[in-house]
Amino acid sequence: MNAIQELEILLVEDNVHDAELTLRALKRRNLANKFVHLKDGAEALDFIFGTGQYAHRDISQHPKVILLDLKLPKVDGLEVLRAVKSDLRTKSIPVVIMTSSNEQRDVIESYKLGVNSYVVKPVDFDSFSKAVSELGCYWVLLNYPPDPQSGPA
Amino acid sequence: MTLRDQPIRRKLMAIILMTSGAVLLLTCGAFIVSEWITFRHGLVQSLATLARITADNSSAALAFRNTEDAQAVLSAFRIERNVVAAGLYDQYGKLFVRYPTNAPAVAFPSTLGADGHQFAQSYLVLYQPVMESDKRLGTLYLKSDVSAMYERFRLYGGIVVLVMGFAFLVAFAISARLQKRISGPILALAGTAKAISDRKDYSVRACKVGEDELGLLTDAFNHMLNQIQERDTALRTEETRKSAILDSALDGIISMDHLGRVLEFNPAAERIFEYTRDQVIGKDMAEFIIPPSLREEHRRGLRHFLATGKGPVLGQRLELRALRADGTEFPVELSITRIGSEEPPTFTGFVREITARKRADEEIRRLNAELEQRVIERTAQLESANKELEAFSYSVSHDLRSPLRGIAGYSQILLQDYKPKLDDEGKRILGVIQNETQRMGRLIDELLNFSRLGRQQLKCSVLDMTALAKAVFQELTAFPSERKPHLDLRPLPLARGDAPMMRQVFVNLLSNAIKFSRTREVPVIEIAGHSDTEQGTYYVKDNGVGFDPKFSNKLFGVFQRLHHDDEFEGTGVGLALVHRILHRHGGRIWAESRPEEGATFYFTLPK
Repeated sequence: MNAIQELEILLVEDNVHDAELTLRALKRRNLANKFVHLKDGAEALDFIFGTGQYAHRDISQHPKVILLDLKLPKVDGLEVLRAVKSDLRTKSIPVVIMTSSNEQRDVIESYKLGVNSYVVKPVDFDSFSKAVSELGCYWVLLNYPPDPQSGPA
Repeated sequence: MTLRDQPIRRKLMAIILMTSGAVLLLTCGAFIVSEWITFRHGLVQSLATLARITADNSSAALAFRNTEDAQAVLSAFRIERNVVAAGLYDQYGKLFVRYPTNAPAVAFPSTLGADGHQFAQSYLVLYQPVMESDKRLGTLYLKSDVSAMYERFRLYGGIVVLVMGFAFLVAFAISARLQKRISGPILALAGTAKAISDRKDYSVRACKVGEDELGLLTDAFNHMLNQIQERDTALRTEETRKSAILDSALDGIISMDHLGRVLEFNPAAERIFEYTRDQVIGKDMAEFIIPPSLREEHRRGLRHFLATGKGPVLGQRLELRALRADGTEFPVELSITRIGSEEPPTFTGFVREITARKRADEEIRRLNAELEQRVIERTAQLESANKELEAFSYSVSHDLRSPLRGIAGYSQILLQDYKPKLDDEGKRILGVIQNETQRMGRLIDELLNFSRLGRQQLKCSVLDMTALAKAVFQELTAFPSERKPHLDLRPLPLARGDAPMMRQVFVNLLSNAIKFSRTREVPVIEIAGHSDTEQGTYYVKDNGVGFDPKFSNKLFGVFQRLHHDDEFEGTGVGLALVHRILHRHGGRIWAESRPEEGATFYFTLPK
């Protein structure tokens, strides 16, 4: 697989406007080149584990980061997080919860399931785009994940 | 009847009469005996003298065996009427002559007795030797009649009897008078004692006659009576008191002997069991008031106690079934004690009917169960309401914020990408949209904080309120604003509370104080407090714009504001939050103010 085509950011977000704003913030930092946007939890699971309509996908191609909303149709964000973090093949993918909820139980549950970061989306657009771009910068450019091929099977 | 059982009067009389009789008898006896001896002696002497003379006179006649002479001598006895027979015997013991001459020979002894006298029946017999110059010629026999002497002594005896009879009469008369002196007081004493013992009247006193031993006895007796009367009174009082207790006791009191027989059954027991006292006294208690199913156990317990001295139920409060006269069973509370340590033991039971209490207990249990059920239902309702609220705030935080972000984001894009195409008014309107969006974001955040507070658990610790107030004030005034207010912080009492929440209280109150006094020339904020045994009271006072007290009831409601947003910004949640925090801590908050005269917010926290 060509390293250039490597997927960098997977955004799972049901609200198209939030998705557009996120994408816009990432684009301003040129981080949206390899960007996939999925609209519900079920589709996200199919994508990550190569099932359903994504059966042809090589699941060893890990995104550099998954930006995951909590409130999703069909399968919610916490379920997706649990599935990713409890499967050895996908465990090492960094997952960042991006949500409007600052409910403690969500925060606690997410960290219990092994989330890498939990971000409350600010209402204010400036703060929002700043948060998103810094996040993207960190996980896409600075973070150095383990090579999925050499990780434990 | 012996003398011992005679009344004392008769005893005294008998003693006096017997004593005087004995003395008289002895005196008379001595007199008669001495008379007897003297008289007999005289009789013998005179007869002996007569015999000697006659013997001398008849010696010659005997020597010459001259019958006539001898006869003449003996005939001289004619003048001696006492001499009934005389005989002259010769030296051979043969009757020579006899007097009276016509007396038969057989009337004379055939053989002579010894010389000297002897009494035989009512005669004195005397043998006198007839001597002639030392030669015995014969013997004179004399027989004298002494019946006169006996006659005389019979007379004496009669006199003695008469004298004694008279003496007895006199003695009786005297003793009858004298004995009263002694027997009188004794009889009176005895009468008193009898009256007391018959009538049980210890107020009677014996009459004292003299200062002798009887007087002493009377005194002692009366003293004894005093003591008995005192004790009797005390005993009666005690008895009255005890029976009053028994009678007025609301609990049934039943005493029982070691055989289980009823000794006491007070009126309360009569009421409870519907037996009269007379029906059960002396009867086997178990048969009356113990239900048949418990009788054997009761008897076994009694036997066990008598055998071992151990009674596990003694001194305990028991709840048992009891039996009424009409055969119904009912619950009682019973305690049994052994009274004193006398043998054989007696037991007293205190009985209280608890039918009503049992029913009340039952009722309470029922009501409690109902109440509990209702609490469970309400709790379930509350829980479900709480869940709904949580779901609501969860969705508020998610669903309301998301469109807001859209509005803010897209208006921002508009401002960034289409700025050249917008005129100033367009830009201003977009600015307003953005500000309002942000304000709504803050409102949602505070509303969520407020609702979260109701669910959050309190983690209480002792708080240094002075340090907390100071830290919050410094934080709030860290960014240089128009005017930094002057802080007058007095030492505050310690409090017990949840540290982050109490911090929130100071944040909200102090930021309000700062906000509403910032228009003042010299803003002054005063924080002080005091405490008593029950609570600590604190206040935050400013010299700001204040408020009209007629709106003070709106101060602590959510989204209630007393100022316009263009004067003083705010969401209307801050004081509601403070109110809720203090309420959850068991404290209160209230405010005093007048327009333009500053405001004082007081709050209390329980110790």
